[in-house]
Amino acid sequence: MRVSSRVLVLVCCAVILTAALPVWGQGGSRPVLLSGASAASVIQSVLSAPTLVDYEGTKILTAVRGEQAETVTILESYKRFGKLRLEFLSPESTSGRLIVDDGASSWHYEPSLHVVIRGPSFVTTSTRTDASAILKRYEARVLGSEQVIGRQTLVLELLPKEGRMTRRLWVDQATGVVLRTEERSQGGELLFSSFFSRISYSLNLPSALFRFHLPAGAKIFTFFLSGDPTQDRQELSRQAKFAVRAPATLGGSYAFQSGTIARHGALMAVSLLYSDGVNIVSLYETPSSKMAVPVLGTSMAMRNGRGRWLDLGYFRVVMWESGGISHAILGTLPAESLVAMAEELNTVKP
Amino acid sequence: MGHARLERQLSAFLDNELTADDAQEVRAHLETCVACREELQRLEHVKRLLGSLPERAPAPQVWEELRERLDAQAPRESAGVLEAIRNAFRRPALALAAAAIVVLLIAVPLVKGRIDRLRAAEVGPDVFVREHALSAVADPFADRAYVGLLVTDANLVLISEPRSRGSVR
Repeated sequence: MRVSSRVLVLVCCAVILTAALPVWGQGGSRPVLLSGASAASVIQSVLSAPTLVDYEGTKILTAVRGEQAETVTILESYKRFGKLRLEFLSPESTSGRLIVDDGASSWHYEPSLHVVIRGPSFVTTSTRTDASAILKRYEARVLGSEQVIGRQTLVLELLPKEGRMTRRLWVDQATGVVLRTEERSQGGELLFSSFFSRISYSLNLPSALFRFHLPAGAKIFTFFLSGDPTQDRQELSRQAKFAVRAPATLGGSYAFQSGTIARHGALMAVSLLYSDGVNIVSLYETPSSKMAVPVLGTSMAMRNGRGRWLDLGYFRVVMWESGGISHAILGTLPAESLVAMAEELNTVKP
Repeated sequence: MGHARLERQLSAFLDNELTADDAQEVRAHLETCVACREELQRLEHVKRLLGSLPERAPAPQVWEELRERLDAQAPRESAGVLEAIRNAFRRPALALAAAAIVVLLIAVPLVKGRIDRLRAAEVGPDVFVREHALSAVADPFADRAYVGLLVTDANLVLISEPRSRGSVR
């Protein structure tokens, strides 16, 4: 009787381990995604991955800024749910930088300055977005399967229905983790790429890895810049003490999500968030009497005057002044799309 | 409260000027003190008599005399202030200090406003990039490592220690 109980326990353990292996991704006996999976199911597996799997790997990012490209190598560790550790390896200007995000706050340690900067978490494991919401705004298709660092992936292409830029994601069939990403302009130019050169999956990375330990003697800064978000645009005008231009939509498909008052030292700006369901565009407004138009980037002609254009690689910024208000619009969209939004905004009455 | 103090309060009691507690105390004392009751009656009598007297306006010359006396006092006071200011300005050091204070009171807000405006323009793009990067994580396909790089680069600019490559400047 005792022997048969032991056998039963062993059988149960074997069943649990067999079920866990595909999720872990090392065994790969039954992948999360099958070869003929639809775009919707690939998207859903990407959205679910942060709640299913822990991993650590070496990631290489490349962002193009004008004629130059910057490549950054990072050790990335992720633990469910929403814990992230990033150790920067290269280039030299970032080497040694550490980010520990415990899902509530992020801690940034800069060893060359021996400073720690604490701020809000930037990891979300929100499962509110589902594949159908994305497919309303994006055309998605599975281009085929490819091997990336020895793992079988499905290549997903996402194209906004309004054109603009394309994303390609190489999604690990076993885990749903994106092993490689590419973003290209409408003309096919590469804007951003990231890929893992090595990855290990784990059922449970140690929690201690995601706990920040303050280095002795380090100076601490705390940056929580924005107030509470609101969807009431009149309330924003009241808080900001000027008439805020906050149209319900921008560029046709970007809908107003929320607004906050961002403060840092002498700066006070109204921050407005627009989304097409996936991609985010931010708009900032502040009275010209409180903030001059920054002398950065290059001067550019707009329909109602001049503005400034700043290419930060992945992010692009258009800054201009209109009706006594300094504006800045930011996003990953191409220049022409951001300028069109800026010109559209100039026609909006506060 | 003693008899003497309560007696002094009889007039106020008669005119309903006491608090409820004090009035109650006076009322209780009156029940036991014959002298105070008589004093109160006397006061009531005087009050009635005064109330029955007709009102009379003062003679016109009273107001004229009063106005003349007030007018005579006012210039003397303002002359005193003017004289003090004149005396102060006869000393160059005091005059300079006063002028400097006036200039500072006007200039400091103006200069501070200009400095703040320029400082806001200086940090603005980095604040915007940082805020946008933090918002961009709502994009389910955003690369968290790259968002981290952008946020931390902006952090360094905001503590006035920009990285040589990567921040907006």
